[in-house]
Amino acid sequence: MRFQQQTFASAALLALAVASGLASAAASSWGFDDASLSIAARKGSEGIKEKLNQKTPLAMPVALGSADSLKVALTAKDNGKGKRPHQAFVVLRDQDSGLEAPFPLTVKENGKAVVQISQKDLPAQLLLAEKPLKASVVIASFGSATGLNTPAFEVEIRPDPATPLPNYEKPLRYGKRPEIHHIFRSDPRSPPKVISLFFTLAVAATVPALFIGWALLGANLNHLTKALGAAPLSHASFFGSIVAMEFVFFMYYTSWNLFQTLPVAAVVGVVAALSGTKALGEVQSRRLAGER
Amino acid sequence: MRSLLSFFALVWAVAVSAISTTGDRLLVVLDDVADQSSYSKFLGDLTSSSPCPLSVLRYWPYRGFKLSFETPKSESLSLFHLGERAYDHVILFPSKSKGLGPNLTANLLLQFINANGNILLTLSSGSSTPSSIVSLLAELDIQLPADRTGLVVDHFNYDAASAADQHDVLLLPAPHSIRPDIKDFFGAGAGSDEVLVFPRGVGATLGSGELLMPIVRAPRTAYSYNPKEQGEVVDDLFAAGEQLALAAAFQARNSARFALVGSAELLEDAWFDAEVKTTSGQAAKTFNREFAKRLSGWAFQEIGVLRVNWIEHHLNEVGASNESNPGIYRIKNDVTYTISLSEWSWSSWSTFKVPANDGLQLEFSMLSPFHRLDLALDPSHSTAEAAAYTASFKLPDQHGIFNFKINYKRPFFTNVEEKNTVSVRHMAHDEWPRSYVISGAWPWITGIGATVAAWLAFCALWIYSAPVDQKKKGAKKL
Repeated sequence: MRFQQQTFASAALLALAVASGLASAAASSWGFDDASLSIAARKGSEGIKEKLNQKTPLAMPVALGSADSLKVALTAKDNGKGKRPHQAFVVLRDQDSGLEAPFPLTVKENGKAVVQISQKDLPAQLLLAEKPLKASVVIASFGSATGLNTPAFEVEIRPDPATPLPNYEKPLRYGKRPEIHHIFRSDPRSPPKVISLFFTLAVAATVPALFIGWALLGANLNHLTKALGAAPLSHASFFGSIVAMEFVFFMYYTSWNLFQTLPVAAVVGVVAALSGTKALGEVQSRRLAGER
Repeated sequence: MRSLLSFFALVWAVAVSAISTTGDRLLVVLDDVADQSSYSKFLGDLTSSSPCPLSVLRYWPYRGFKLSFETPKSESLSLFHLGERAYDHVILFPSKSKGLGPNLTANLLLQFINANGNILLTLSSGSSTPSSIVSLLAELDIQLPADRTGLVVDHFNYDAASAADQHDVLLLPAPHSIRPDIKDFFGAGAGSDEVLVFPRGVGATLGSGELLMPIVRAPRTAYSYNPKEQGEVVDDLFAAGEQLALAAAFQARNSARFALVGSAELLEDAWFDAEVKTTSGQAAKTFNREFAKRLSGWAFQEIGVLRVNWIEHHLNEVGASNESNPGIYRIKNDVTYTISLSEWSWSSWSTFKVPANDGLQLEFSMLSPFHRLDLALDPSHSTAEAAAYTASFKLPDQHGIFNFKINYKRPFFTNVEEKNTVSVRHMAHDEWPRSYVISGAWPWITGIGATVAAWLAFCALWIYSAPVDQKKKGAKKL
């Protein structure tokens, strides 16, 4: 059948060439025929043998195991005649990265070509490919014949589960690097304000409780007028300096530093000491008079 | 900042006298000095002494190189003089001799690159590459075919007009950038009908280092073979397809440049304005002249040269003083960093636009980066000649000695590495939040207040109180 088709095709071409009056060999092109793809497993029984077609690639990808070797055999033909092309490659391409590895076919004078590919012939980048590798056949040579570059089949790499995969590190390339944002330590946190407010109120409530307790025990300021009458300046200064000392503590808490606080505290202390002797002397006199 | 900018402009205006940023002394090494006539257009473009608008699209700039021609074995040829470079750039044309002589050993050429000299190397498939060139290329991790000669052919993309049978004149599309984040230096603006002709050239394979970059890759159906031994069949394939680099670039860490062109013939006058025919019969114009100009422009530091004008960082907080570049910051300060960059393009400095998909990044790092941030264009500090890029960020909460690092290394651009060191101190004792703003401290502060109030009340009571009436109590008891 094919033979009949070929004679028809070449007869038609000849007729065309004669009809157009061209003497040149006209559009000759490379092609291949009798192509087969076989996978020979070195251990085990499975071997796959498929026929390759120049016009349509194989529908399903073939699997290549770690001990298998893939053999492609074809006959290169220039215009239907078996001839040896200069370039006869099976090119395997990684679909994701676009990297290609050519495998030259060993071609005899009559155009019969064969090549064997096993996993150890593949570069590491193709071995680690996730998707099946697309294989195309490139047949071309010098002269005016147009070359052939068609996809032929797909091959899926099945790595050996026992052996570790080759360690392929992507080489350093200058370019933008990933952004880094420093993750800050979290700020110190306080408990919920409700709890703080509750205890604040609890503490603040002790003050009136204390005052009420004192009042129930008979607290009074009855000798205030008598004391101030007896030693007004001393008592005013003494109590004033006690209050002033608390004020100094308050200022130190809010805004002053130690160098501002200490002189003021010293002055207030001296005032307290000097006025205190007089004031407490007056208290002593009231005690000795039996009024305390 | 303003005064700093004008100071730099003054210094630069005084210093620059050539159009290439690194000098105008160009050495051309040829086997036969008379060969230069076949490269007359290329060499004429290099020496062009006045601007000549030949077309609206391409403006031939004033390049103004001073050419010296020497043969490789000539005794007066010396790349160095008294320890300094005698030339700023070298073009090496293919030589038929086995070695390039004692003045152009691989070692001397490498010293030339280390001394910031630029080299443009051309090869040809007609002559086997001299051994010193092969050693030099091996040092740069560029591999040539075995036997130091090869020919790249492509049976699918060849010039039907001149190489209908031999297929050794390749027609390539104008070379565009391989990665999306690289600026297109070599093929930008090429017309769709323009092709780059690569006649009778050598393809090389590049190592995987980061300093190498292919400029023109062979088409996928191309391959390299040895015409003397592999005329019938290719038994030992050197490389094929896009692994073959027909023109490659190497930029050393000091930004000295080395460009490799596999075909010296593509620089010849014959191919500059030739008409070629593609395999499908279409006529096309050659892109070679423009490509030669851009390739030599890149190699001799006329394009793709970057310069840092000034760097400024300051504290970006409310109430901060206006001091620029302080030596010390505090943790968690808000800081703004600005850097101004210019790009030299043929004959003038202009603003540097970071290519799309690429980013200029600032690293704030002690031993390793704590921040790596993209800098954004800052129009308020940019001028017509300099673009300012800025970033504002919060310093990490780690104290120590930190560096503001700009490490912008890209293929085809000069390397930009800038480091500014600052101290980052911890919080001072009076910079913490006060206790009265910490809600958890309120019970304690209230306690202090309660104690003070109780103390004052106690003092008043103790000094001024009178005892409770005993008589009344006594009477009650009784």
